[in-house]
Amino acid sequence: MNAALRISVSSLRAHKRRFAGTFFAVFLGVAFLAGTLVMGDTLRAGFDSMFGNAAEGTDAVVRSADTITTPGESQGVRRPVDTALVKTIERTPGVAAAAPDIQGAGQLVGSDGEPVGGQGPPTLAGNWIDDPRLNAYRLAEGRAPAKSGEVVVNRGAAEKGHLKIGDTTTLRTPDPVPVTIVGLATFGGEDGMAQVTFTGMTQADAEKYLTAKPGEAASIRVRAGPGVDQRALVKDLEPALPEGVEAITGQESAQENTDMISSQFLTLFTTFLLVFSGIALLVATFSIHNTFAIVVAQRARENALLRALGASRRQVTVSTLAEASVVAVIASAVGLAGGVGIAAGLQALFPAIGFPFPEGELVIGALSMLLPLAVGVVVCLGSALFPAVRAGRTAPLAALRETSVDRSGTSRARAVVGGGLAALALGSTLTGVLADPSLWLAGLGAVLALAAFVVLGPVASTTAVRILGSPLATLRGVTGGLARRNALRSPGRTAATASALMIGVAVVSLFTVFGASLKATMDQTVSRSFAGDVAVSTPSFGAGGSGLSPKLAPAIARQPTVENAVGLGRGVAEVNGSGRALTVTDPVTLGKVFDLGEVRGSLAGLGTDGIAVTEQEADRQHLRTGGTARLTFTDGEQRDFTVRAVYGRSELAGDYVITRAAWAPHRIQDSDTLVAVSFKDGVSTADGRAAVEKVAQRFGNPEVQTRDEYAQSSAGGIDMMLTLVYALLALAVLIALLGIANTLTLAVHERTRELGLLRAVGQTRAQLRAMVRWESVLVAAFGTAGGLALGAFLGWVLVKASDGASDSSFAFAMPPVQLVVVALVGLAAGALAGLRPARRAARLDVLRAIATE
Amino acid sequence: MTTTTATRDAARVTDAVKVYGSGDTAVRALDGVSVGFPAGRFTAIMGPSGSGKSTLMHCAAGLDTLTSGTARIGGTELGSLDDRRLTLLRRDRIGFVFQAFNLVPTLTVAENITLPMDLAGTKGSRDWIDALVDVVGLRDRLHHRPAELSGGQQQRVAVARAFAGQPDVVFADEPTGNLDSRSGEEVLNLLGRAVRQMDRTVVMVTHDPVAAAHADEVVFLADGRLVDRMESPTADRVLDRMKAFDAKGAPS
Repeated sequence: MNAALRISVSSLRAHKRRFAGTFFAVFLGVAFLAGTLVMGDTLRAGFDSMFGNAAEGTDAVVRSADTITTPGESQGVRRPVDTALVKTIERTPGVAAAAPDIQGAGQLVGSDGEPVGGQGPPTLAGNWIDDPRLNAYRLAEGRAPAKSGEVVVNRGAAEKGHLKIGDTTTLRTPDPVPVTIVGLATFGGEDGMAQVTFTGMTQADAEKYLTAKPGEAASIRVRAGPGVDQRALVKDLEPALPEGVEAITGQESAQENTDMISSQFLTLFTTFLLVFSGIALLVATFSIHNTFAIVVAQRARENALLRALGASRRQVTVSTLAEASVVAVIASAVGLAGGVGIAAGLQALFPAIGFPFPEGELVIGALSMLLPLAVGVVVCLGSALFPAVRAGRTAPLAALRETSVDRSGTSRARAVVGGGLAALALGSTLTGVLADPSLWLAGLGAVLALAAFVVLGPVASTTAVRILGSPLATLRGVTGGLARRNALRSPGRTAATASALMIGVAVVSLFTVFGASLKATMDQTVSRSFAGDVAVSTPSFGAGGSGLSPKLAPAIARQPTVENAVGLGRGVAEVNGSGRALTVTDPVTLGKVFDLGEVRGSLAGLGTDGIAVTEQEADRQHLRTGGTARLTFTDGEQRDFTVRAVYGRSELAGDYVITRAAWAPHRIQDSDTLVAVSFKDGVSTADGRAAVEKVAQRFGNPEVQTRDEYAQSSAGGIDMMLTLVYALLALAVLIALLGIANTLTLAVHERTRELGLLRAVGQTRAQLRAMVRWESVLVAAFGTAGGLALGAFLGWVLVKASDGASDSSFAFAMPPVQLVVVALVGLAAGALAGLRPARRAARLDVLRAIATE
Repeated sequence: MTTTTATRDAARVTDAVKVYGSGDTAVRALDGVSVGFPAGRFTAIMGPSGSGKSTLMHCAAGLDTLTSGTARIGGTELGSLDDRRLTLLRRDRIGFVFQAFNLVPTLTVAENITLPMDLAGTKGSRDWIDALVDVVGLRDRLHHRPAELSGGQQQRVAVARAFAGQPDVVFADEPTGNLDSRSGEEVLNLLGRAVRQMDRTVVMVTHDPVAAAHADEVVFLADGRLVDRMESPTADRVLDRMKAFDAKGAPS
């Protein structure tokens, strides 16, 4: 054991360079993983203290007890409470102060005319609570709003919109409200609650613009008198509250807020990052395994000598594993430090890009250190296991043989196992996609397909490299020919090196194909359902934005060029007990501007007691025309509605349609998400659009888009997501490239004498460099081609399985341009990976290379 | 082939000094050697281990650079050439046969033979190469890989490669060192025929008197100096001369 360790340590010292690639692969994977965990913990702790600070003075929150949650939404809609309740509460013993908290959507327009925020986090507006201890926001500069039109905004939002005290701008509620900024506020010591924007107005303004009727508030904040703790306060309050209204402690409220941001943002964010560190580590596994396999092969004579001198199999295996452990532990430990560095860097970087990362110490939990450390060591040792066992099996006689022959490419067993896996993968996915739609079967198939690709790699690599490399010999002469043959030399090694890149490229292509398919789906939806000429919308995504004024559609409809204009609002209600989103609109015009498919019954007569339902939803809820559905609104009112029409297509119109008149008594803050416009015959798109834009100008300047533009912007979030995904996958691709570079460096080392010979008989340095580079490009081309094929297949599986498993129909699209770009990037990356080994090879001393032993 | 008519030496070194290392550990591998290798002749360089014979060949062939003195191939002074020009010179005007590892394992026999010309992107003389293949007797092996050949066959391929581009001079570094005596004899006969029947120039480093006897002239090196020359050598005379080195022990 001691001898084995001594050997491994001295061999590590002698071959430091060989392990540089392994070291970086482990380091990057562990650093990314640790960084993600540390950042997640730090963010969570930051939000925790932020909400804690903000809610410090609030001892209890009074609000309505019920929420209505629609499918696919984590946060329900809560009914407002009566502001008159404030008086009752103030009279309750133990209460020092109470204030209504009116909240709604309000999007500021920046000094450049562009809306502030709206891409993700909510854009909120509310009443400015004068009691500073009840207000979650603190006045940092200026003063509180005193009269109508005056507002306080959080400092982060002001900076983003380049607004300062004294500026006049527009607040979309969604009706444009002219406001003057009189103060800037902070939230829990920060410039804002993450990226949420907040505009505080007078209570009168808030009631006027943010609620459907005066006298309503989202909740009432209560402060306890001296000596009354939060629990006692809640107990005191409870008897005073009407039915359907509840009181919770300030702490519980803060906790709810933290939980909400955790579930909506943090968990998603960290899971997302963890998935990508998983991919990076998977790629690293291939790189590491390959390095050890090559090192063991190169050291066959050395190991054979050890065996001949009496070392046991176990000793040789253990010494190789010991080497791996040393690399693993050092690289993982350095990786942990790197991870903390990444988290610290992001903490510094986020505020710079306008994302207020809560201040405070980095939270370095035991789990965030132990988990990446364990993963790093396990990945490294696991990858080295097979090569180590092979090292132990070295026959003592191998010391006398020149080199061993690589048979991995030609193994029949491999071809049979790989073929079997591929067949299973195909069978499972086809069943899961076509015969019996099941995401589970399709997913299993995807994993099997990946395994089949990896197993079949060496079998396929000979043929693939031969084909991919054939233009090279013709184009680049003997240099290209030599590169091609070098790539063909060791099919197992070529395949293992390429596999790492293949996985990276496969995931990139998968997302590319899936993204393009989602866009195509949007496109298909819009072109199938949207019969209008232009759409007016506020481009937003997530909870941001304030929507459109309900007055916009009627104003547009009055234009002489416009045939029809219909606004689509959103409401929620429980239909026969389950939460559902409602489309609040003018059903008759809706039928004209949207293609609703086959309509049974009539959209004309919905009135105040009728609804229209899609066929699919009608089936699910067992509704039919003439039937009755019981709707429970957020204000608690229950009403029976008659189903007057059943329509075929729900894509843009939603599952339920209700008239504005029927919705009005239950509305909260009125806004439309979309206004669809069709022009009169003979009106050109340009003329019609100009007219609509002129009207839109008066309503906070929302965007007016043609059908195509609307389809594209509906998919805007997808591009943003893809960019993020690509950035994260760059890490996996980088590790794969390190793997290629490392393999090549080892190969160059192995071929020292051959390279020396080539140089002696007249290969110039430039030719030698080109030869190594082209080999690198070929290996990368093989990996890229495999990755594209696998990624496209997995993309197809994902799209088809989603299509089969959900109600909405998905279109499949292969984006040729993007995939060509992926291919080119893969090749360029290969050339890049070859640079350093090529330079090293070219620096080779001819004499030393050809010197006889 | 050679463009120079000013000298009848295909290769020549003048006052060649090669020092390895520096300070106390400095070794003078060549200590003022001047020797010419006449065109159309077969010259053998002999000397005991450490005499500097390999260094002389490497410097004369542009594989290594002199510390001082000059090396010429035809009329070209090697010291003035950068790495690229030296490489091109080796490719176009010099042929090499090394002791072992002469062939690129991924290339076929035919491809190995034309390798220098392929690197230059030229075709070479088809007839000449055709004739060479017959001389070395490898016509039926052209599409084999080096690993499929015997050691002697591999060296014959190397000889064919060395002459394929009709270079000014072919340098052979212990070409028979790894071969049994029969295969070695074949290779030496090939080198001899190339000089006598095809008017080529060969410079061969060897420590084997039998091999040296194939040459037209033998130059003897000891301790980095040229100590003797012998015209029309025979194995016995060369052996006697070599024994004289041993008898003298460490020379002054």
